[in-house]
Amino acid sequence: MSVADPTTTIDATLAATAALRCEGLVKAFQGVHAVNGAAFDVPAGQITALIGPNGAGKTTVVNMLSGAMKADRGRVFLGETEITGWPSHRIAQHGLLRTFQLSRELGGLTVLENLLTAAPNQAGDSFLNALLRPGLIRRQERENAERALHLLAVYGLYRHRDTPARELSGGQKKLLEIARAVMGQPKVLLLDEPMAGVNPALIDVLGGYILDLKKDGVTVLMIEHNLGVVERICDYVIVLAEGKTLATGRLSELRQNTEVVKAYLGEVMDASATH
Amino acid sequence: MTYYIFTLVFFLFDYFILAMGLNIQYGITGILNFAYIGFVAVGAYVTGVAAMPANTVGQHYILGLGLPFPFNLLLGGFAAMGLSVLIALITLRRLRTDYLAIVLVSLSLVFYDFCNNYVSLFNGADGLYNVPEPFAKTLGLGSNNFIVFFACLTGVVSLIMWFVMSRVMRAPLGRTFRAVRDDAVTAAALGKNTFWMQMKAMMIGSFFAGIGGGLLIQFGGSFNPTAWLPAETFVVFAVLIVGGAGNNIGMFVGALLVETLLIHLPAFLPEIPGHPGLIEYIDTVIVGVVLMVMLWFRPQGIVPARLRKTASFGVDERLDEEAGELDRTTALAGVGTRAEATR
Repeated sequence: MSVADPTTTIDATLAATAALRCEGLVKAFQGVHAVNGAAFDVPAGQITALIGPNGAGKTTVVNMLSGAMKADRGRVFLGETEITGWPSHRIAQHGLLRTFQLSRELGGLTVLENLLTAAPNQAGDSFLNALLRPGLIRRQERENAERALHLLAVYGLYRHRDTPARELSGGQKKLLEIARAVMGQPKVLLLDEPMAGVNPALIDVLGGYILDLKKDGVTVLMIEHNLGVVERICDYVIVLAEGKTLATGRLSELRQNTEVVKAYLGEVMDASATH
Repeated sequence: MTYYIFTLVFFLFDYFILAMGLNIQYGITGILNFAYIGFVAVGAYVTGVAAMPANTVGQHYILGLGLPFPFNLLLGGFAAMGLSVLIALITLRRLRTDYLAIVLVSLSLVFYDFCNNYVSLFNGADGLYNVPEPFAKTLGLGSNNFIVFFACLTGVVSLIMWFVMSRVMRAPLGRTFRAVRDDAVTAAALGKNTFWMQMKAMMIGSFFAGIGGGLLIQFGGSFNPTAWLPAETFVVFAVLIVGGAGNNIGMFVGALLVETLLIHLPAFLPEIPGHPGLIEYIDTVIVGVVLMVMLWFRPQGIVPARLRKTASFGVDERLDEEAGELDRTTALAGVGTRAEATR
């Protein structure tokens, strides 16, 4: 476990196998630093939680890692490849996909089409192929559709396959977001509060899906406030506070860390005690 | 009578092409291109000057290549496409939705004034006239026969364009355009280069605009700034909204109702006694009213965009059934019902 040193990684072994790494990330909005030197490694093939109080800069960090937002300073590595400053579509094409805090379904597309949009390397995105190679496109579309239908069945959305995504319920949209990201065959998946606004029963289901992703070799980094979920499914935890990496380690270890308890865990525990 | 009917037929097919071009930009990709008529004009002018000889008494213009049809028409289409690349490079990188629309309107006005006043380009306010009529001499067509012939030719061109557009819309490219329209941030997060996709939609749509414009100048033999007042863009938008944004058949229906029946047919009706020219002015009012009624009661248009169902992807029935079975198992395990419980 490391404490209050943003340059320190979880440990040397994990650093060597980091699927995603960031160094000294800085982002300011009109002079206010939302992220101020965040640095951490996300170990390959594990589920890592990114936790911290509100305003700690968690979503801003995820936005910078996924290319949705440009960092003012700092570097990001996906495996061995530096992806600093890459646009989000290029990062996604290299295997880092994400979901959003508020579900962002492609509302005018059907549920099946939402998944098909995420399928990588589609020949039919080229105008010339669309015009001149209908056979190739038909074959690829059929294969992708079969894979998408299987995923929809696994995620309990098959019966909604032809429904416009905007008509799904909140929980179903959460499921769709994860299924769609999985359709993109991610090496690293960033989940921004996947359990937010989800009922307790569905939280268990979603947790099961995330564990399944780990079994499939996907590295997961998830922002999560529900410490019960973090305890159950996450292997490692990164604590952000005031835009900096406060600590990294297992949750059980972090519970012993006074700074972490003071900055975040105490607050959460107090809050849960009042309910 | 033949002249009237085939003039209407020509406008039907020509506006079908124009509406399909705007549909891919706005209806499918969500680019609010309020400068659309500018691309139509570029297509018309370039088609004209590409067909005209190097020098014509009393007219000033560039090119003058004397190209035969359809090469001049294709050049017009590609010129409009080329302009769209320039405009897209200036606007699409930084601007979205209403800001993009305002800048496009401004560019359209600048371009309009430029063409109107810079005589050496396309003969200024007088515009181009006496543009050679395609195949008229070869086939020995009189003016009435030429109109019949050219209206039918435009019909054939519109069928080819419809085939091309249907391929694009049915391909993953069409789906990606719709994804960019619905949420560009999400589309980018799924690996789609949204700028390049919008650029593609601009290029394809502008090529259609250029071809539609080229057919206009070839049909009438002339084209000047009064033919493409910036407000004309909204007639094409009316075709699109009435027909049903996102659907090619809707574009045909919109072109039939708005351009043919509401805008051009009244011009052929007898004058109202004591009120010369009244019908011509009333038609614009009627189009405005129809537009408002449509937006209020049927914003999806007469022929709305259709959702693509699973069956159309040619999925193996056995695999489809397996997925259905797995879904039922998942539902029995509580996933589906739990998901639905969150409604």
